[in-house]
Amino acid sequence: MDVFILLLEGIFVSFEPLNLGLLIFGCLIGLFVGAMPGLGSVNGVAILIPITFIIPPTAAIIFLAAVYYGAMYGGAISSVMLGIPGASTAVATVFDGRPLAVKGEAMTALTAAAVGSFVGGTVSVILFTLFAPPLAEVALRFNAPETFALMVMAFATFVGLGGDDVPKTIFSILIGLALSTIGLDLITGKPRLIFFNIPGFLHGINFLVLAIGIYGIGEMLWTLEETKGKVQMSKLSVNMKEVGRAFGALKKTIMAMNIGSFLGFFVGILPAAGATPASLMSYGITKQLSKNSKEFGSGVPAGVVAPECANNSASTGSMLPMLTLGIPGSPTTAILLGGMILWGLTPGPLLFTQEPEFVWGLIGSLYIANFFTLVLNIALIPAFLMVLRIPFAILAPVIFVLCVTGGYAPTQSLHDVWLMLLFGFAGYILRKLDYPVAPAVLSIVLGPLAEKALRQSLILSDGSMGIFFDMAEKPIAAIIMYIAIVLLIMPAFGPLYRKFFKKAQTT
Amino acid sequence: MSIIKKLALVIVSLSLVAVSSVSSAKPFSPKKPIELIIPAGQGGGADEIARLVQGVIEKNDYASKPVIPINKKGGSGGEAMTYVKKKAGDEHTLIITLNNVLTTPVNQPELGIDFFNDFTPLARLITDTFLVWIATEGKNTQGVETFDDFIALAKGNGLVMGGTGSMSEDELLLGMMRGQFGFDAKYVPYDGGGAVAKGLVGGESDFTLNNPSEQMGFYQSGDSKALVMMTPERNPAFPDVPSSYELGYPDLEYYMMRAFMAPAGIDAEVEKYYTGLLHTVYHDNEFQTFNIDDGKLMSWLEGYGLKDFLAIEYAKHGEIIKNFN
Repeated sequence: MDVFILLLEGIFVSFEPLNLGLLIFGCLIGLFVGAMPGLGSVNGVAILIPITFIIPPTAAIIFLAAVYYGAMYGGAISSVMLGIPGASTAVATVFDGRPLAVKGEAMTALTAAAVGSFVGGTVSVILFTLFAPPLAEVALRFNAPETFALMVMAFATFVGLGGDDVPKTIFSILIGLALSTIGLDLITGKPRLIFFNIPGFLHGINFLVLAIGIYGIGEMLWTLEETKGKVQMSKLSVNMKEVGRAFGALKKTIMAMNIGSFLGFFVGILPAAGATPASLMSYGITKQLSKNSKEFGSGVPAGVVAPECANNSASTGSMLPMLTLGIPGSPTTAILLGGMILWGLTPGPLLFTQEPEFVWGLIGSLYIANFFTLVLNIALIPAFLMVLRIPFAILAPVIFVLCVTGGYAPTQSLHDVWLMLLFGFAGYILRKLDYPVAPAVLSIVLGPLAEKALRQSLILSDGSMGIFFDMAEKPIAAIIMYIAIVLLIMPAFGPLYRKFFKKAQTT
Repeated sequence: MSIIKKLALVIVSLSLVAVSSVSSAKPFSPKKPIELIIPAGQGGGADEIARLVQGVIEKNDYASKPVIPINKKGGSGGEAMTYVKKKAGDEHTLIITLNNVLTTPVNQPELGIDFFNDFTPLARLITDTFLVWIATEGKNTQGVETFDDFIALAKGNGLVMGGTGSMSEDELLLGMMRGQFGFDAKYVPYDGGGAVAKGLVGGESDFTLNNPSEQMGFYQSGDSKALVMMTPERNPAFPDVPSSYELGYPDLEYYMMRAFMAPAGIDAEVEKYYTGLLHTVYHDNEFQTFNIDDGKLMSWLEGYGLKDFLAIEYAKHGEIIKNFN
């Protein structure tokens, strides 16, 4: 088949010395920017764009895609080892990765992250290779009402995220939604909720500021209080038995891999969503469908695999609308897109035929980058584990510094650092009061996407909610909406049902 | 471009700076990295030009210190403008403009930005224009071949127009066209030019006013077509698209400017240095080729010419906003 010849050529292109060298270099940089809180793939790629003017476009895209890709792996490292999300795409990895590390199973968490990333990345690049043109058509037909329906579905999965205390979960979601409305109103262009006229609120509450505050600072305060500073992680030996155990744990994560890979890819190809919502949604849905969903959040490998699988899958997926439609599927691809235009390429339906070396070189390089980052990550696990041997009295200030730089980096404003500290304390207090914080973090990511899609849809329908339930005109939106409603009802009635069922049994 | 040519340009530009600064004590050169503020998000048109300028400066060592682009997209440029206003007298801050620098001070008086006194305009490098686009297979625009067909159709039917953000160039232009041609449309705001272009081809909107580079991919593949370009003359990148002057609508003229400004209160020496630096970038071969291929107009303007241009544009935008509300 033609596709395989083109793919083979693409793989050969990525084996050219310059391209292979840049690929490996890019993966390493990506690991670093991903692992450094606050840097992430968006900043990493933006910083490196000017360097790419001196190399051919194919080498440039291979280099930057490798950075993007490596960052998806790297984000997991600080999420697991320090409890600070290295990048927005790795926030969901903290939920179970950190508890695993605290339990002394950091090895399992890191292995799960590396293997999950590899599986997600590979599945998505295969889907990309085989179905790029028809999938581009799907992305084209996925408009505002469909996007809103998908967001409702994502919110529905969150209700199950906070455990059985549904009112507290809903409270947490609403806090996140309220925070997400701060800043510029997309529809009227007017500033909203600019407290005390502080200009820093004009750019809204950055999602990473909240996540780093709650997880980094909040977690640190919590740990200090719990242990009085005498934290000692147990079981740090790296031997074959441990390695075997880590891989053995992956057997139970097949479902998470499937959900992460396919859902991640699908969310990735939709415009303007990207890897962050994909990883969060994948975590939520895996938890909902899992037999032992109650254990999620206390350290299960599937809780690491699901988001890690999804973020790699989505990052590959988001290149599809970038190449075929000229629209970014994620913030990072928005910058890659700018790069492509600067290199003299025109993204759009004709790119595949006009620039086959570029497109297939990129696709081919993704296969290689995947394999390379897997090997690199597994090999580096012992080095990452060293972090846990550092006494907490030394580690805590380091975490604090990383949190501050991480809060500052995305917007370069000190305003956000103060906000992050504030969120850190708020997160600590919420945790003491037993409020789930994950739903707040999730809704600040999806809130703006949902609001925009809702309001665009309502402008189109002159204010009628019927646009979301119109089976004849918008079947995709309607079907997703109905699934969302079912998902929403399930956990809300679950506890009631169980209570009733238990009573019936005991009496 | 050959190294000799590059060198020649550097020498010419350096000598320009040198000659212009003979009168004063010593010429300015940056002492720390130069912040380039972008009043829009990453990946947009202004961001693209800012990063191109950064790349050209770094590749050729046009400046002794690096240029660091910083995106401040909040409040339709309000956040960026407030930031630069506070930096009055700072010699290492520049801002690239979108037209939102002309509209935001009017739309958001609470920010307290005085367009004419809070900034030092340095130079305009590029102007970008707008076209009226429809999808080739648009279900509501079937049979539309010319701009006049389109006006006739739009008058009778409430078409949907996709545009970037709210009270942006796109929405203002719709307001301008409403006044000139007497049709109105339902305006749906999107995140960026790329999403607007996709909404058109995906069938969510009936027409858009994208600038050339945003629709280039779909234009080349035949998925979208342009009816008119809002300029006096045709553009070589779109040979088959008539200009508004040709069609007899000279009032339908609109530009997006890519200019650079510094904070208020900087020395004349500093102003001269940055204008010279931008002049060097402007004449860089790579910079020229990229912009011309992308359908942009190379339109250098500095000094009093630039100040006049900004005053006219500011007044024009004020008028459009007044009519809009």
